[in-house]
Amino acid sequence: MSTQDDKAKEVSADGAAGPIILFFILGLAASLVLGWVIFPKLLYSQKKQPIDFNHVLHVEAVDEGCESCHFFREDGSFSGVPKLAQCVECHGDVQGENPNEIKFVNDYVANGREVPWLVYARQPDCVFFSHAAHVKKAEMECSTCHEHIGESEHSRVYEENRITGYSRDIWGKNISGLKSNTWDRMKMDDCAECHATKEIKTDVETLPWPLNWAPLPYEKQTGNQASIKTVKEACFVCHK
Amino acid sequence: MKEEGKHNKKAKKYGMVINLDNCTGCGACMVACMAENNVPFKEDESDKLDSITWMRVYKLANGESYPDADICYLPRPCMHCEGYHGHSPCVSVCPAVATDYNHDTGIVSQIYTRCFGCRYCMGACPYHARYFNWWDPVWPEGMTKYLSPNVSARMRGIVEKCSFCFHRHQLAMDKAFLEGRTELEENEYQTSCTQACPAGAITFGDLNNPHHKVNQMVKPDNKHGGRPGDPNAFRLLERLGTNPKVYYISSKEWVRRAGDNYLANEDRTVQQH
Amino acid sequence: MKVGRRSFLSFIIGGAAGTAITPLPWKLMDDASIWSQNWPWTPVPPDGEYSYVNSVCTLCPGGCGISVRKVDDRVVKIEGMKGYPVNAGGICVLGLSGHQLLYSPTRVKSPLKRVGKRGEGKWEKISWDEAISEVAKKLSEIRSKGESHSVGSIVNADSGTIPNLFKRFLTAYGSPNFMTMPSMQDSYKMTLQLMQGVNAQAGFDAENADFILSFGSGIIDGWGSPVRMFKANSTWKANGKKVVQIEPRLSNTAAKSDKWIPIKPGTEAALALGLANVIITNSQHSQKISQSSGFESFKKLVQNEYSTDKVSQITGIDSASIVSLAKTFASASKPLAICGRGQGSTPGSLNEFMAVHALNALVGNINEQGGVWAVPEVDYIKWPEVNLDETATNGVQKERVDGAGSEYPHAKSLLNRLAEVVNSGDGSLEALFVTGANPLYSMPDSKAMKKAFDSIPFVVSFSSYMDETASNSDLILPNHVCLERYEDVPTTAGLQKNIIGLTRPVVKPQFSTKNVGDTIMLIAKALGGSIAEAFPWDSYEACLKETLGAKWDVLVENGFWSDSNSKTVSGEFNFYPKAMESLSNFSPVSLEGSTASYPLVLIPYDSIRLANGYIGDPPFVIKAVEDTVLNGKAACVEVNPKTGKELGLTEGRYASLHTPRGKAKVKVHLYEGIMPGIIALPRGLGHTAYDKYLAGKGCNFNELIGPAEDPVSGLDAAWGIRARLTKV
Repeated sequence: MSTQDDKAKEVSADGAAGPIILFFILGLAASLVLGWVIFPKLLYSQKKQPIDFNHVLHVEAVDEGCESCHFFREDGSFSGVPKLAQCVECHGDVQGENPNEIKFVNDYVANGREVPWLVYARQPDCVFFSHAAHVKKAEMECSTCHEHIGESEHSRVYEENRITGYSRDIWGKNISGLKSNTWDRMKMDDCAECHATKEIKTDVETLPWPLNWAPLPYEKQTGNQASIKTVKEACFVCHK
Repeated sequence: MKEEGKHNKKAKKYGMVINLDNCTGCGACMVACMAENNVPFKEDESDKLDSITWMRVYKLANGESYPDADICYLPRPCMHCEGYHGHSPCVSVCPAVATDYNHDTGIVSQIYTRCFGCRYCMGACPYHARYFNWWDPVWPEGMTKYLSPNVSARMRGIVEKCSFCFHRHQLAMDKAFLEGRTELEENEYQTSCTQACPAGAITFGDLNNPHHKVNQMVKPDNKHGGRPGDPNAFRLLERLGTNPKVYYISSKEWVRRAGDNYLANEDRTVQQH
Repeated sequence: MKVGRRSFLSFIIGGAAGTAITPLPWKLMDDASIWSQNWPWTPVPPDGEYSYVNSVCTLCPGGCGISVRKVDDRVVKIEGMKGYPVNAGGICVLGLSGHQLLYSPTRVKSPLKRVGKRGEGKWEKISWDEAISEVAKKLSEIRSKGESHSVGSIVNADSGTIPNLFKRFLTAYGSPNFMTMPSMQDSYKMTLQLMQGVNAQAGFDAENADFILSFGSGIIDGWGSPVRMFKANSTWKANGKKVVQIEPRLSNTAAKSDKWIPIKPGTEAALALGLANVIITNSQHSQKISQSSGFESFKKLVQNEYSTDKVSQITGIDSASIVSLAKTFASASKPLAICGRGQGSTPGSLNEFMAVHALNALVGNINEQGGVWAVPEVDYIKWPEVNLDETATNGVQKERVDGAGSEYPHAKSLLNRLAEVVNSGDGSLEALFVTGANPLYSMPDSKAMKKAFDSIPFVVSFSSYMDETASNSDLILPNHVCLERYEDVPTTAGLQKNIIGLTRPVVKPQFSTKNVGDTIMLIAKALGGSIAEAFPWDSYEACLKETLGAKWDVLVENGFWSDSNSKTVSGEFNFYPKAMESLSNFSPVSLEGSTASYPLVLIPYDSIRLANGYIGDPPFVIKAVEDTVLNGKAACVEVNPKTGKELGLTEGRYASLHTPRGKAKVKVHLYEGIMPGIIALPRGLGHTAYDKYLAGKGCNFNELIGPAEDPVSGLDAAWGIRARLTKV
């Protein structure tokens, strides 16, 4: 028994501890570089917007801020990225000497072709998002989710996740998934975070349930508990 | 601040009343539903077990011989059972939180991307209101152009069912928010089948709201699981305790009796618990 | 330094430890789970701006207002138009599926010229210019031979600008052969002409009637303007009005009526006259009307020949029921009797129409509230007279190939006779235009119709879809579908109001199609001379605008124009026109086939879920058809369980159905709602054209039945045929 232990000591004392630690550190370092630096580069493909758009220039030229172009329609739906018809109202002809505008007018306006904008905040099809509920009812600022995009002078590169096909903005620029601003990430957890902290839903006491049907214990909690399954906000509110 | 932020709104209980005396069995509700909700179709739809029809019109017969035979049509959407306190049969069994009961609206939801197709809910549903996608939906060339963006197309291997056109509720709420309101008028949120019915046989609204037609028509007794107060009104499988939110009205006793499994000499109107 | 196993393991462990504190595994897991939910072959419909465009549906003669929901430039849904005077927001299954037709792969996407044998399905795409000149060349040839009268056209209706353009074209070209698809409206029109001496369409003030006696009319199965009738039916129910349905089968209408009285089919006229007899005997008839001419003869007729007992024997309805029905009908304050079987897609026996009309006259409801109104056509098409050249003058004076106006002086068009006339060699056509109609599917004895078509050297179809007629033509010049074109829709079937609706383009044409109005004008222009001069307009749209004059703006604004004063025309009522004399000895329309070899009687039934006219069921509608109507590939024949037992047939099993005209493999559906000895088959199945969602499903009733000429009108009076049903 003891001889075996001695042998083991011998082996470890054979000057091998150094390389082992070295290789451990090498492996550690390599994986850290891979995970933090190379992986994000591999994961996302970089795409340029068809036109380099200057928000600052446009915000200066319009009267009603974001809503001048990104407006609510009468039926309560949100127009999102403007359609060509809207741009044509001002850009029927080339107005200045900006190469981007010239390109826009020649390539798109002249041919009546919609600009294939890459939408940074595009959510999957299963998501129902109501701009009216957030902007009108809850009176939230556009920048809460969309950062201060109005202050940008150039369109930044659109990064597309090669696996999911969605924009990098959904997961967030920070590959670790950590965020420092409300607009840094747009995943379901980020919606839920806000919905959990703000009292958005009906108070449970006002529900007109028959009195002889006492709520079950976990239904007595306060807060957003419209859902019977999650005791939170009901799934259908945001999913279609 | 907190007091101000509190809402006074009462929870809704959206439900439907279908007058079977007026229903002509024309099928407009079925097709209006298919068109509204991107329901797919396949080459042979005559096997009704796998034919996805969120709204299905059943034909009932009184069992008498010619010339005393009589028939009646019965449209069957999802009943959006409230069950015991929101525990409708399907919601209770779903292991994936893919179907859910919302106390604010009384609507039983179905989240397609969460569903993994175990079909437990289909077994639990006593109304055959749930359908399984045995195949991927395929539209003939060019026909995807008519698909509505309001409802996601489903994929193979998941369960789907009537949602009371919940997306219409969302769109109506959007409009209300834009106009600074948080409450909807009765006519602002109507399901596609209600709107389409050429005979005006379907009425939709908030069963909790005494000003809504549905409430006035059936006078639901919330103290007793929403039992209808109107003697001509009935619900399907009333005694099962599913507390469905779809009520039927018929002037014919044989039709009302067809709503549940009664013994030959049993009095339908005697309540049992 | 030696890289040993330990070092390597150490490297791996270091790597694993490092990886665990990088986002890589967690992010990959998240992405992989999202990826697993991406089904790229499942369509994601693009969002956009929602809008509604109002138009009028032309898929059936009902003429309902529709509100078309669009997302950007796509049609996503069709709904009923609120406030439209016909359907008031309601809609039917067919109208709801109109967008499936718009985007249907069965659409003809450009002009096509046949290259293979006829019906073989081999086509060559050609340009519009080639197509027009092809037609013009052929027509010039025929005309130069002096055969202009041998060109005919089959059109869906005879009112509105499109049918009138075709009529005008044929006149200018020199042919009398303008034919329309037959319907009960032909019989009603003729009845009004014979009994009231007016040229008008029958309109029914149904909503205001309080007792409706229906002789087999499918009030909620698609009769008249379907949605309007659904609404009327609900109004009656809400206000406690009564409906009595007389027919041998428990149809939806019968089931929803207050009383269903089964009758031996074909004896409806006798019942109507029997009821008239009771009413006159009890002096319950309107005193004013008894001053009308022919009343005494009519009285004599019903009293001598239609005594209650005799009628009871003929119809199989017991005497007491007849008497009580007559009494309740006549004592109602606003009784209304209607006829036209099922959806009214076949004209039926003129005697029956006259007998029922006499019943209405007896209770004094002609042109009265809640009664039958003689509604004149809206008189808005006022085009200048056509200048006829010599060829045209000669041509239009020739006799029509179908015998309308000559053999049958009252008839305007007798398409039901075309097959027989052509096949027996009594007449021939050199060229035929077909628009808005699918006669090879929807005319009785469709096989004979096909044979007749085969002998017509040049058939041009204007169909938007590859239907049975289009696939058996030589040239297809596809029309826009109704969501892509302008068209006027004048007063619809059975409506008592004078209205015009406007069908308008909701989306841009999806394919290389042309409004048929433009096409016919282009053909005329290519022919030149007086034919070209007859069409002074630049385009169909210009023609429509000019024709409608001041009404155009109203139509564009509201979607419809209606006459504020309801107009009716009246003439002296004649109870006993000469045409009625044959009723002095009642004999029902005889059924083809011998009792010995065909012991059963086969009748058709109509369902609102089965379109049986020009348009076939789109996929949504065929999906909504019950499995007791269509089961797999087989149509279900309704058999009374008693009859089924005698024949040894059980529910759901296959059987072979034979009639003197054809045979089909069907499935048996035992139904307590049908008279023993009678079997019923749905109309609207058995298409051979269109797509896989419709073609090859069930059998076409029209292949099993032949036409029966009404001795007075010449229209098709057949209501059934003898049949044999055997186990297979």
